[in-house]
Amino acid sequence: MVREVSESCVESLLTEIVSSYCTGFYANKPELAARRIEAIGFQVGHQLSERYTMDRPRFSDHLEAIKFICKDFWSELFKKQIDNLKTNHRGTFVLQDNKFRWLARMSMDPSLETSGSIQDPAAMAENKSAQAIGMHLYFPCGIIRGSLSNLGIPCAVSADISNLPACSFVIRIKA
Amino acid sequence: MIVCVAVVGHQNNPLYIQSFTEADDALKLHHIVHCSLDVVDERVNNPKKSGPTLNETFLGMLYPTENYKVYGYLTNTKVKFILVTTDLDVRDADVRNFFRRFHAAYVDAVSNPFHVPGKKITSTIFAERVSNIVKSFGLSSTG
Repeated sequence: MVREVSESCVESLLTEIVSSYCTGFYANKPELAARRIEAIGFQVGHQLSERYTMDRPRFSDHLEAIKFICKDFWSELFKKQIDNLKTNHRGTFVLQDNKFRWLARMSMDPSLETSGSIQDPAAMAENKSAQAIGMHLYFPCGIIRGSLSNLGIPCAVSADISNLPACSFVIRIKA
Repeated sequence: MIVCVAVVGHQNNPLYIQSFTEADDALKLHHIVHCSLDVVDERVNNPKKSGPTLNETFLGMLYPTENYKVYGYLTNTKVKFILVTTDLDVRDADVRNFFRRFHAAYVDAVSNPFHVPGKKITSTIFAERVSNIVKSFGLSSTG
């Protein structure tokens, strides 16, 4: 039996989490909001990794665990695999998803209504929406960190948005 | 008959331990479980003994004692499951099946958002499910 979750529900929930943390609970403290959102993701990843690794042999090294994240874990979450995996073989991995599902319906909105600023208004808007999108990426970063740390690999995960909806996650394993 | 099952966390901290005997021998069973942890470590750190079953979650029989057989299982997340049984001729398939179902119950229990990772599992639903699995283990091996 495969239980599925409606994708639109998850997306709405994510949007709602981000907006309630950023504009509600921690309106003036974006770092704190980011930390909290990341922590929620961490717990989700922690629990999911337990479930999705149930029927497989144990991983012998870091690369195997990362490959599991790229392939099976990502397929379970997003019905697709990570498109590109790069590593420097010294504990840094870059996972690139060319069409990250949680960003697929987001647009860089160049609304030029940031009046009253001396700077180039287009750049300001760009910066603002990039920030908003960045907020939505703390959750998946937390998921990756949570699942890897449950597999015994402490790490730090950050995300880069190059051009929507492509997105890359940088995993730095703590020695 | 299964006399004791235990879940042990990755730092060898007990997460759940339950014995299923009438007699007052909980302490003895806990001691057996405790001893088995060293055997688990040994198996994992010297994998050549396991041969083809390299990195498999099911570790097989850890050691026999006079009255008991102790089986082990190590998940990907370094959580150990220990099973102590009094049956002398246990089929491996039965034990595997037991651990598979036990693992499923464990995963459901730790997926509870109110469960704190690394703390003892206090869920009564989990306890009930485990005792059902334990009961059905006896049935499947005799029948």
